[in-house]
Amino acid sequence: MSTEVIAAEKPKRNYNALFGLTLLALLVLLWVILSVATTSFASANNISNLLRQGSMIAILAVGQTFVIITGGIDLSVGAVVGFSTVIAAMLINAGVPVFAAILITLLVGVAIGLFHGFGIVKMGLPPFIITLATLTSLRGIGLLMTNGNSISINNDAFQEFSRNSFVGVPNLFWMVILVGIPAYVFLHHSRWGRYLFSVGSNAEASRLSGVNVQRTIYMAYTLSGLCAAFVGVLLASRIGIGNPTQAEGWELQAIASSVIGGTSLFGAIGSVHGPLLGAFILATINNGANLLNVNAFWQRIITGVLIIVIVYFDGLRRRGK
Amino acid sequence: MTSTAQELHPHPTLEPGRTILELNGLEKRYPGTHALKPVHLAFKAAEIHAIVGENGAGKSTLIKLLTGVMPRTSGEVIWEGKPAALATPHEAMALGINAVHQEVVLCRHLTVAANMFLGEEESRFGILQQRAMVKDAQKIIDDLGFDLPAHVVLGDLTIGQQQLIAAARATVRGTKFLIFDEPTAYLTRKEADQLFTLIRRLKGEGVTIIYISHRMEEVFELADRVSVLRDGTLVGTRNIAETNEPELVKLMINRSIEQIYHKEHFTPGAAIVETKNLSGKGFENVSVTVRAGEIVGLYGLIGAGRSEFVTTLYGRHRKSAGQILWQGKEVQVNSEHDAIRLGMALAPESRRDQGLCLNLPVGMNLNLPIYKRISSNLLISGAKEKAEADRQIADLRIKTPTRHALASSLSGGNQQKIVIGKWLAHGAKLFIFDEPTVGVDVGTKAEIYRLFSVLLSKGAGIILISSYLPEVYELADTLHVFRRGKLVATHGFRTADHEEILTQALAEKQEKQGGQT
Repeated sequence: MSTEVIAAEKPKRNYNALFGLTLLALLVLLWVILSVATTSFASANNISNLLRQGSMIAILAVGQTFVIITGGIDLSVGAVVGFSTVIAAMLINAGVPVFAAILITLLVGVAIGLFHGFGIVKMGLPPFIITLATLTSLRGIGLLMTNGNSISINNDAFQEFSRNSFVGVPNLFWMVILVGIPAYVFLHHSRWGRYLFSVGSNAEASRLSGVNVQRTIYMAYTLSGLCAAFVGVLLASRIGIGNPTQAEGWELQAIASSVIGGTSLFGAIGSVHGPLLGAFILATINNGANLLNVNAFWQRIITGVLIIVIVYFDGLRRRGK
Repeated sequence: MTSTAQELHPHPTLEPGRTILELNGLEKRYPGTHALKPVHLAFKAAEIHAIVGENGAGKSTLIKLLTGVMPRTSGEVIWEGKPAALATPHEAMALGINAVHQEVVLCRHLTVAANMFLGEEESRFGILQQRAMVKDAQKIIDDLGFDLPAHVVLGDLTIGQQQLIAAARATVRGTKFLIFDEPTAYLTRKEADQLFTLIRRLKGEGVTIIYISHRMEEVFELADRVSVLRDGTLVGTRNIAETNEPELVKLMINRSIEQIYHKEHFTPGAAIVETKNLSGKGFENVSVTVRAGEIVGLYGLIGAGRSEFVTTLYGRHRKSAGQILWQGKEVQVNSEHDAIRLGMALAPESRRDQGLCLNLPVGMNLNLPIYKRISSNLLISGAKEKAEADRQIADLRIKTPTRHALASSLSGGNQQKIVIGKWLAHGAKLFIFDEPTVGVDVGTKAEIYRLFSVLLSKGAGIILISSYLPEVYELADTLHVFRRGKLVATHGFRTADHEEILTQALAEKQEKQGGQT
């Protein structure tokens, strides 16, 4: 009805950009407050540290967002990270060249993503269930492979990568850019990105319009698995060990970052810059709380409150008020 | 079972003919729009009052105001002589105002009985009296003359049957004023008859009925009076005995009825698609040919196998026997993807469930089938994307502020234009339209029919499925009648009369069976 046309008269064309700016403002505000409130926040050392902390969750959140846009969820990413540290560590210790070891680890991530796609598309399992199943079983497989021990990586060059910086910025943060830019182009400027949105909005209508829905779902989970395996490589480099129990709960942080960044868990709404900002907001809160000597238990509570507040206001604005 | 009926419908306090609800300059403005200009109208107790108008004329706004879903901007509503605020749905229901909506808004996963008593469950000591509720619900349903079980899950019923349940539900709440919004859009003729019986009966019990419909014959069959809305203005109220269809249509759209069914005849070209003895789930032995420049109509009741036939043709379901010939060559269509690649396009029956990505922008919906074409390698050309979408919006006269507006914010008719229009740019050869004008007003219908002509003139062929006989009758060059999964008769353009076709589709009489090409 004409009435409803009017309700949408202010098109939400710049909505993504606007929301992104709001998040950016929030992040800057947090930084300003923490710079004033603590002496150590603004130090180069701490900023590098903060960027390193946020980077890995940020990359996970990008992959997670692809999946959430299709209306799914990937609970396995934390487990994939832990599992990937084991694969990378074993390969490197076995004398496989670092380059090849990384490539193989990434392929393992792709394979896990394809398996998720298979479970959803061919077996008809809900995404929540299939990725929950891989979450627990990957941890188990990793523990079997390592007998429950950590594997120390005996390759200094591999470990140095994550500690070094390039033009003053930590390498780990460069990795966010390396992932973020192609991800942005992919999501917002390629037809595959459009299909992610259309499948999340109405899979049936997409199918009838000639969109290959199954392939789109495979793609989303594969990219999420790939991102997670990549983070696994970075984590192995950072802590110098392969351990399947690492990255416990990271899937929830990735989902939280994505949601804070404006992704709708119902699908069809999301961006790349939002989850990136969301991840660094979470990292800043944890970092700042440490510096302010806030009880670590409080950090979790603050994170929870923040998720509620941001998503609530986001919802209000989406409804146009 | 009149005693039950009396329990169900407490007698309205007013005698028939007295004013029950009066609108005194009722008005609604949205930022930038005047959705409903001040309306003065009095509804009488126990009358059936039809409201007609195009999509966007303000009918939905009026319903929303009366049912308390939205607050009014100004004006007064007088209920039984006293001003009523109607600020919340709860207040409207407490007064006795209820509505039955076009799309069923009930819980599909609950039983019929649970839905009937939703919000007013019978319980004893906090424990639900399930058996008692099923029994009572069954009593109500039987009493209304619907042949439906109360214990089954609502989702197992057809949409039409669900609609009847929704209507039954609305009658058990002490309703004095009941609004039906396009209730027959998804009903079969038999179900519609049951509904009309119910409506007349409610009227007999003193309930005031507001009946909103696009179908003129229903208005004339049911209503006592009819009001016409156009562009948010009440342009007239007539006693049904003192008006006729052409007058109402003219009031609604300022245009004569002959201009609606826009039919141009083209010389049919080569066959685009041909099925030979095609069988599949829900239909068997169907042989149909569609040539360039012609409309092939498939008429039949809901469930007669027409939709199953076209979805099989479109690769959704596997055929069990027979052949599909595409431009003379036999082809295997194993998926929608294959069908689209060949050059088929399907505008499905349910635009909300199958046709549109509602929470995505109009532009993206329009471009969905052609992203491959407007991308170079991997990247989408922003300029092409914009140009294609804007051209479509202009060509199809879609009423939307910009291509960035969400599809959900458009009216039903405009949404339908997207569902159909997105295939125009795609350049398909065969278009399948499954009930393209359900819930669409006369003006938009005319525009959709004009689109058909545009497609035909470009050498495309059309399969048109409709349960609305005048539509297929006035438009189809070849008309096939389906009954229970079989093609039972074939006619040329206007070579049979309505009576004959209806009999073939219903076939209660045995002697009328059999094809007669």
